[in-house]
Amino acid sequence: MKCAFCGLEFTQDDVRCDPACPLARGCPVVCCPRCGYQTLDESRSALVRLARKAGTVVRKISRGRDEPS
Amino acid sequence: MNRHGGKERLPAPPKAGPTVLVGNPNVGKSVLFGLLTRRYVTVSNYPGTTVEVSRSPASIAGRRAVIVDTPGVNSLLGSGECERVTRDILMRERPSAVILVADAKNLLRSLVLAAQLAEMEVPFVLALNMDDEAQARGIDIDTELLADMLGVEVVRTVATRGIGMEALARALAGPLRLSRFAVTYNPAIEEGIQQVAALLPPGLLAARSVAMMLLAGHYGASALEGAPAEMAERVDALRQGLQARYRRPLGYVMSHQRAEAARRVVAAVSSRRAVGREPLAAVLGRLAIHPLAGIPLVLAVLYLLYKFVGEFGAGTLVDFLEGVVFGRYINRWAADAAAWVPVGVVRDFLVGEYGLVTMALSYGLAIVLPIVGTFFLAFSLLEDSGYLPRLAVMVNRPFKAMGLNGKAVLPMVLGLGCDTMATMTTRILDTRKERLQVTLLLALAVPCSAQLGVILGMIGGLGPVAALIWAGVVTGTLFSVGYLASRLLPGRGSDFIQELPPLRLPRLSNVVLKTVARMEWYAKEVLPLFVAGTAFLFTLDRVGALSRLERLASPLVEGLLGLPSQATETFLMGFLRRDYGAAGLFNLARDGQLDPLQALVSLVVITLFVPCFANFLMIVKEFGARTAVAVAAFIFPFAFLVGGLLNLTMRALNVGL
Repeated sequence: MKCAFCGLEFTQDDVRCDPACPLARGCPVVCCPRCGYQTLDESRSALVRLARKAGTVVRKISRGRDEPS
Repeated sequence: MNRHGGKERLPAPPKAGPTVLVGNPNVGKSVLFGLLTRRYVTVSNYPGTTVEVSRSPASIAGRRAVIVDTPGVNSLLGSGECERVTRDILMRERPSAVILVADAKNLLRSLVLAAQLAEMEVPFVLALNMDDEAQARGIDIDTELLADMLGVEVVRTVATRGIGMEALARALAGPLRLSRFAVTYNPAIEEGIQQVAALLPPGLLAARSVAMMLLAGHYGASALEGAPAEMAERVDALRQGLQARYRRPLGYVMSHQRAEAARRVVAAVSSRRAVGREPLAAVLGRLAIHPLAGIPLVLAVLYLLYKFVGEFGAGTLVDFLEGVVFGRYINRWAADAAAWVPVGVVRDFLVGEYGLVTMALSYGLAIVLPIVGTFFLAFSLLEDSGYLPRLAVMVNRPFKAMGLNGKAVLPMVLGLGCDTMATMTTRILDTRKERLQVTLLLALAVPCSAQLGVILGMIGGLGPVAALIWAGVVTGTLFSVGYLASRLLPGRGSDFIQELPPLRLPRLSNVVLKTVARMEWYAKEVLPLFVAGTAFLFTLDRVGALSRLERLASPLVEGLLGLPSQATETFLMGFLRRDYGAAGLFNLARDGQLDPLQALVSLVVITLFVPCFANFLMIVKEFGARTAVAVAAFIFPFAFLVGGLLNLTMRALNVGL
């Protein structure tokens, strides 16, 4: 993923915010290893997964319409 | 860790010092490292740190060498972990050669490192990387003149395409020279450097550089082996004497003068030619950080934010959700369903004044969620456009004026997202005093995204004059407390160097997915707290403690602030989460229980209110319970004092809103 603040590209593994944080349990926040900017790990959001699936279905349907019969 | 895991034996380590790659972040060091080594890569944490350093044996122009890839840094004299690691490798391992990898598009930053390498008396070759991108942007660099001015070999490279590697190998194979790029500092600093250098153990390598680090306070005197015991005290006395002559920290003064010297070299060796019309994004990106032109852009962004969140989110959306969805349907259905519940207390807890549906869900889903939803959407647009780091550059200037060091900008801007996490980010600051100062300001006057959303929503209904007064009082408080704290808690300085990704048109899918993820997180994280807060108020009400608390707080809430007694409940909610408290005030204002002045005063108090529970716990974790209690004990009366002064002043001056 790409940091929305400084533009650094990094993988979300091992860059979760401090596990000693009082809200760390199940926290989807990841911190940029360079600037510390926090962002959400979208892969852990059920709604995002749902939105992605919906997007895929919509794209498939629109592609199907465009194809000549 | 051996990334390539082969069975070949490692070549015997060479006797000479390693060849070390040094450079700013994102200049292509690691690509160059891969091209030079190709084989075994040993990645390990530098002792005592979490910073990874890669090492690998290699053959350069027939000579065996160990190549070390250091973390990207913007200074070799700073006190950050990456800077310390790079500095220690250079000072302790005494490399036989250093490859200073520069981004040809941004030569200035690399020349600051070149000056520091020269001061450290380390021989180096300058690899002018990304030369193709610089050429494409119309940047021409006279490498012969640059080599002459620095006194070292300069090689053009395009590491991603392997261009310039032979020339680099040839330069490394030849006799390497120490750079003659000598920065001359102010006479007082030069004298200080000489005096400190004279105290250092005889024969110490790079004594001038070590003296500068000691003066800047970035290198503890006790870290020097063989140093006499009294040296630390004498160095400290010299440092304090010299510091007294400058308003800014010595490290900052030296960095500034070094950067000026680098700027003069850049001006002499580089030129720009026209390469067609500059893209609009590049023009806007430049304007966004311009000291004057950037201000209208900041104001325009704030105005659009205010219109979108304050008027559309808090007006149109909340009217629909609260008035139609909850007012006509959900509350009515819940009341009908609750009528079947035989136990009165349970029925009241579901749909009463402090009910689960009528208060917790209504506040959470009908008031706060649409407001923070629109705010999250706007925030995601700002993030995806690359504007946020430019905003940090803009606010860096006023922050410096109030006495905050450059690095402090980052947690302060991040606090607009979440103060709890931003408190943790203060770890990047150099001293405990700096960290405490920023933590106090975060807890006091930097509203988090959810709170800011609700505040914008409420201000949307009060008009621009109230918005300006609110912003003036909050920023005035931030600056006054920040300035006083910086006087009372002087900390060492540091430069603010921010990577600026290009400004671009946001991608709709990115923005939508980010907003959705944030809203889901908010609903999961915050709604349970709203339920807990409502249960707490319900309990207080049932046992009669709420009315007693209201009577107890009456001199403060009704007398000093001029608010109705019901405002006490919202401040109680604010202890749990400030946005919950703000939502309570929003509801009071919509019900007509607050006139415009009361709404403004209450907003100022809830903005400056004690840190939320999670932030409080984070301060306990970072600084200990005593400091956390002291921070809260300062903020709580201070918020009421500022609100009270605003109320009394506005009434005395008879200012209408």
